[in-house]
Amino acid sequence: MAKRRGSRRPFGKEMMPGLRLQGRTAWTENATPGQDVYGETLRRGGLEEWRRWDPRRSKLGAGLVRTENEEISLLPKAGSRVLYLGAGHGTTVSHLHDIVCGADNHRGGRLVAVDLAPRCLRDLNHLARSRPGLIPLLADARKHSMIAALMPYRADWLFQDVAQASQVDIFLNACERFLRTGGLGLFSLKAASERWDGEGERALFDKVATRLSESGLELVENIELAGFEEHHMLFVCRMV
Amino acid sequence: MVWIAFDWRVALVIDDKGRILDEESWSGKMSNSLIIDRLDLIGNGGITTEARRLEERWPDACVHMAGDPQLPAHEFPQPDEEMQNAFDEAALSLSEAGVAKAAGDPDRRLEHLLSASEELRAAWLTMESRLVEWTALFLPTARVERDRSRLARIIAESTSLQNLSEELSAQLPESGPGDSEWNSMVSWADMVRGCRSRLDRMEDAIRVLATEHLPSLSKLLGPLLAARLCVSAHGRMRLARLPAGTVQILGAEKAFFSHLHNGTPPPKHGHIFMHPWISRSPWWIRGKVSRMLAAKASVASRCDAFSGQLWSDEKVTEVEQRVEEIRATHQDPPPGKRR
Repeated sequence: MAKRRGSRRPFGKEMMPGLRLQGRTAWTENATPGQDVYGETLRRGGLEEWRRWDPRRSKLGAGLVRTENEEISLLPKAGSRVLYLGAGHGTTVSHLHDIVCGADNHRGGRLVAVDLAPRCLRDLNHLARSRPGLIPLLADARKHSMIAALMPYRADWLFQDVAQASQVDIFLNACERFLRTGGLGLFSLKAASERWDGEGERALFDKVATRLSESGLELVENIELAGFEEHHMLFVCRMV
Repeated sequence: MVWIAFDWRVALVIDDKGRILDEESWSGKMSNSLIIDRLDLIGNGGITTEARRLEERWPDACVHMAGDPQLPAHEFPQPDEEMQNAFDEAALSLSEAGVAKAAGDPDRRLEHLLSASEELRAAWLTMESRLVEWTALFLPTARVERDRSRLARIIAESTSLQNLSEELSAQLPESGPGDSEWNSMVSWADMVRGCRSRLDRMEDAIRVLATEHLPSLSKLLGPLLAARLCVSAHGRMRLARLPAGTVQILGAEKAFFSHLHNGTPPPKHGHIFMHPWISRSPWWIRGKVSRMLAAKASVASRCDAFSGQLWSDEKVTEVEQRVEEIRATHQDPPPGKRR
């Protein structure tokens, strides 16, 4: 059972529809009031219920804490079209859904969540049953035709978190095929999934950053996730 | 230059400036299963009947899925709410069907069966050795270690310590267990006995599944070893694609990486060592036999995975003859080498 606390008084500061910040802690408006997704804290504030975005469980959540730019510049707007590669068990996806779609998809967003593992899809399917606008897809992130069949449009916002060897290529190809011009692409790089070249993690991160900017993406920010998620770097890119 | 853009329900012909020249919409009833069929079709690189009709009418058009960056900028018609809901429902069903299909995957079933039987075997062995120690505490003169497998049954069926001591022909101690202590011991014995029969049942299940999933490999190595190789290779398809040298040392990862990192001697065999042709051979030919057997196992697993001709008993006999040959040509340990 989730912890629930707080009064009807609004808390923190509303940054955009569905997102509140109190200090550096982000809260999203619960699209399924009374239900938590991964044991996070629930809290009332105003007329809505809010879910705490745990930076230790979600790399995007950690990115929000660590970013030097404005928090909302990292996130998709309400009602936008989102593609999430490597959705896992739906921790981050649920918060994105709160922001992009909201309860009964009243914000009119679309969120396609792709993962390769049937075990993960089992959780995502349960999530999608109670959250319209979320479209789970059991597919390889490299198989574009399957994603395109469920997403006959370009996304405004793309997030990739696949821990496998060719993660940079997968990200670049996905951005080229699915991200609209001006759209934001976020990419969480797991150093341990890349081939070890003996030059250390720092050199690897630099190399990837150079590769991203050489491929025609505008690199907005590199966010170090150490402290929340070791050996990870979050790259924020804009499609030009 | 003209282009055809399509998704699951509509197809358009557009020109370089994004003007719509022609259009075909899906007029059929939007039932869940029909939408799933269409998503499946285009997801696997096919095109819809609408797009095909347009392609016949505009033979020199380039066909792309809607949203493809190669298409010129254009307005693609958006689905209305009813269509969108039908689509969402179909997409969810598609995903649920994919998850349900994973339940039929013998690789995953084998993995659970094998891990479960390993856990049960570990638990059973610990519990049995505790039972032996426990009994020996009360009946120090009984030779309980001699027949461990019968011990659990004897204790579970005996009514008192006295009864048990007669059964084991041992002397009764001066002070024995209290009633509840004795009952705990008996129920522990009952549990050990239950574990044994559960383990047998589980291994039968592995045999059945492995013989069905890996018929040739099971014939060559026996179903339990075949299942173990398949699970540690993460699936039949991956096992079939592994080189024979990897099959040879599957299960000896610790020794192998210690060899790579620290230069210790490389392992000669992994799980495959369990096969009596290797474990019952003298130490100086185990490497030779396991190299040969791994190569044959690799061939057999490929026959299973790529639906080739299944191995016959004669083939297995041929391999056995090879083992005999190796044994015959290397009867003595090589001079100067010691274990």
